[in-house]
Amino acid sequence: MNPFAMVLADLRALRWTAAAIVMLVALAVAIGVAIGAQERALRQSSAAAADDFDLLIGAPGSQAQLLMSTVYLQLDAIPLMEGSVLRSLTQDDRVAAFAPIAFGDVTRGYPIIGTTAAFAARWGRIAPSEGRLFAAEGEAMIGADVDYRLGESITPSHGVAGQAHKPGEADADEAGHRHAGHDYTIVGRLPPLGSPWDRAILVPIESVWEVHGLGNGHAAGTETIGPPFDGVTIPGVPAIVVKPRSIAGAYALRSQYRQGGTMAFFPAEVLVGIYRALGDARGVLVLASTLNATLVLASILLLLIAVTGLRRRRYAVLRAMGAPRLYVLLVIWLGMAALMALGCIAGLLLGGAAASVLSGLIEAQTGLRLAISLGRPEFLQIGVLFVVGSVLSLLPAIASFTNPIASGLRG
Amino acid sequence: MPASHSPDRATAKALRLSGVTLDHRGGDGRPFRVLDIPDLTVPSGAHIGLRGPSGSGKTSLLHVIAGLIVPSTGTVSWGETELSALPAASRDRWRLETLGFVFQDFHLIPELDILANITLPASFSSWRVVRSEQERAAAIAARMGLVDLRRRTGVLSRGEQQRVAIARAVCRRPALILADEPTASLDAAHADEVGALLVDAANEAGATLICATHDAALLARLERRLDIETTSPLRELVA
Repeated sequence: MNPFAMVLADLRALRWTAAAIVMLVALAVAIGVAIGAQERALRQSSAAAADDFDLLIGAPGSQAQLLMSTVYLQLDAIPLMEGSVLRSLTQDDRVAAFAPIAFGDVTRGYPIIGTTAAFAARWGRIAPSEGRLFAAEGEAMIGADVDYRLGESITPSHGVAGQAHKPGEADADEAGHRHAGHDYTIVGRLPPLGSPWDRAILVPIESVWEVHGLGNGHAAGTETIGPPFDGVTIPGVPAIVVKPRSIAGAYALRSQYRQGGTMAFFPAEVLVGIYRALGDARGVLVLASTLNATLVLASILLLLIAVTGLRRRRYAVLRAMGAPRLYVLLVIWLGMAALMALGCIAGLLLGGAAASVLSGLIEAQTGLRLAISLGRPEFLQIGVLFVVGSVLSLLPAIASFTNPIASGLRG
Repeated sequence: MPASHSPDRATAKALRLSGVTLDHRGGDGRPFRVLDIPDLTVPSGAHIGLRGPSGSGKTSLLHVIAGLIVPSTGTVSWGETELSALPAASRDRWRLETLGFVFQDFHLIPELDILANITLPASFSSWRVVRSEQERAAAIAARMGLVDLRRRTGVLSRGEQQRVAIARAVCRRPALILADEPTASLDAAHADEVGALLVDAANEAGATLICATHDAALLARLERRLDIETTSPLRELVA
């Protein structure tokens, strides 16, 4: 049996209904795909952004706030902890490396982050794509997306907590808070990390301290940068990233620095909490997209019942000419499957495009680069929609088989 | 049952209806009798004209014979095969192998062209419509006066549609041809021509032909005429 001539005839006859079915399916698939892919990409890239931050130490306060400030550079007024912590970490065997992170200044809306050259290179994981790492006070490195050129000079301004700065643009507020006479020279650029740090300007922590008149944290008369910080008084810092030597060491450090005027935590544990909250939101989204798919299926079914009602006669004619029931079912199923497949493909493309646009918006807002990819959940969702939709399309025809063919001919 | 799909597969057999009644439910919910045929035998290869006023059950009788309706009582047999007792799937197969039906409303597929409409039944049982079948379809269409077989039937005049419907019914040389007002949409000249073709096609295949018609010219071509009336059981009239 060869149902394709009839399938084509049916699709030709359906025309607008067919277009409506394809569009409905495409929309349902697009919404489901966009939500699923977006949510997963957000989760993955936010976790990836926290990769080099094994253990965070800060002054007691909100862990989430410290995490958002250090990892995602959503800068906020963070209390400082004693600089002496830096000294004890230098002497700690369990610590492979550590880096203070200080923020507060901005230029053209880019946050200026004081840290060490070792952390700027992510503990040696990345090398500058242009120029070199900073090696002395007054030198700066820029993230991949910072709109400055090597050799340019930067005048930092004191940022105001909660002030929204647009990257790449100086505003009046920034102009009013310039730290005159404390310019940085850009000596290098970092490769893209896909995180908000691509929009940061990294300078030696010592420079940040000096700009604010706090000394440089080193023994009097020395001008070195980076650890060890051996000054008599070491200025306070809002956050320290610690790279522990071992997992056991990491837990020991975390519990030690949970007392005595500091807090310590693994960013991963805070993220898990955030993801759990996100997961609830995701549940709502998934429910919404499932409802959406159900509504689409219901409307397709209604369309089909209406259409099959109109086509009852046509299928009765086929039967009257001797077509087996299987032939009629094949004609209906193949036609519907073609429409559903077309809708699913269009929906995949549409959903991918929508997710990309959304990613662009999120990246513009936060600097998090979201790599959209279609995964098994999306394909599973589409597969279920396809199977359920195309099988449901057979029900009206199967129901019509119980009536005599002659009554279909009259209809 | 012959399972061969070759065009000259089924040979005409005697058609026998016995004790057949068909009841419908009217608008007021009360059943009324559409057909009442105590006994009717159509010998193999006979040409029968079925006449009677509108609503007298001509179409219903053709549908009962074709197995499109199962009668309320009684049996319909084709040779040794009791059609009214066959399961639906076997009846589908019997229709495909044995029957050519010219529907009153033609029931063409308007989106398909003339040739595809004529050869459509061949696609029910095989993947490809073989060349010989295509050629025969083209030849029959030509004899029906149909030109340009690539035209979609949706754009044809009623007369042309009627001829496509007849070509489709006789193309596979069925052993039983049922025709419901096959000349109703044609002018006198065409009606005469098409009536002749229908009878010729039946003769050629040795097929039994049953025509429900008001067309006196067509009735004159048929060997026997049956009068069917609403009120009384079917009786045979020899004109």
